[in-house]
Amino acid sequence: MIKKILLVDDSPISRRMMKSCIPKDRGYELFEACDGLAGFEAYKEIRPDVTFMDLTMPVMDGSEATGKIREFNPEAVVIVCTADIQIKSITNALNQGALMVMKKPPSKETVEDALLKADEHIG
Amino acid sequence: MDYCLDTISEEEKEILQEIMNIAFGKAAADLAEVINIFVVLSVPHIEILNAQDLPEYLKSQVSAYDRVSIVEQNFWGDFKGSAFLVFQASAGRELISLFSDDSEDFGSEPIDALEKETLMEVGNILIGACVGKLSELLGDAVTYSPPRVVTENSSNDAIPVNIFESGSSAIVLKTVFCFNERNVNGFLFLVTSNDSILWLKKSLAAFMEQYE
Repeated sequence: MIKKILLVDDSPISRRMMKSCIPKDRGYELFEACDGLAGFEAYKEIRPDVTFMDLTMPVMDGSEATGKIREFNPEAVVIVCTADIQIKSITNALNQGALMVMKKPPSKETVEDALLKADEHIG
Repeated sequence: MDYCLDTISEEEKEILQEIMNIAFGKAAADLAEVINIFVVLSVPHIEILNAQDLPEYLKSQVSAYDRVSIVEQNFWGDFKGSAFLVFQASAGRELISLFSDDSEDFGSEPIDALEKETLMEVGNILIGACVGKLSELLGDAVTYSPPRVVTENSSNDAIPVNIFESGSSAIVLKTVFCFNERNVNGFLFLVTSNDSILWLKKSLAAFMEQYE
């Protein structure tokens, strides 16, 4: 069961868009980080059930951060949410261990679908 | 009506930045589908300038290139302006092989013409997809002029000087990219005048309404 969700994106607007798409009635606890490295550090501290990860970010990109999180915890559920929808970028993110890739902009439906998949994966 | 430079708020700039990010991501994916290339993306940058400072700003951004090739395309809708895709002048030659099965076989066409056609094609896809997606997200539809390629010995000569009337302001949406396999870097600038500012502000607000 999902309780804690971490949002990693350098754009405050993008994080706001994601937050608004996450259902409010399930008591999720939301956390935010502004780049891949901060996201990795936040992951280690918070141990969220699901991490939404952007790809194109300063300091450390989302692909590398996904790899680091999955190295730290091979069970970690990372969902990439990105504007970079090139096949190679998507393949790379999946190879780093992302559960799935969502394209931006997010919607309530795509986020709901992603959370459902994450829930099924967690079991 | 005189619009001052702060008519676009910091928050509106951030929204525009995110929309540009999505739009250029779509453009890169469209290009990668047509030719075998991977586009390394970066975070877009939004700048509000006095129109008379625009040529100097654009030149300063590409000053590292001694010779430049520019694909220029105008677009019209509620969102209207000009797109400039700027490469080092050598980019056309680097990219030709992506459109040819045999990189050494350029056929009978002069190499300069092939370079121009290649840049025009890359520009057409990147500019069309980026401006198209940006307009779509903001509820607009635009039409385009045919792309035009300009290659100059110096970046000083290549940037058009009087795009907008002096006294008006210009919004520059800039993204830097790199074609990974080809060692080709470039910039895409979308420049729109204050004619589009009121529409832009309303459209950005409407876009964010779905996320309230």
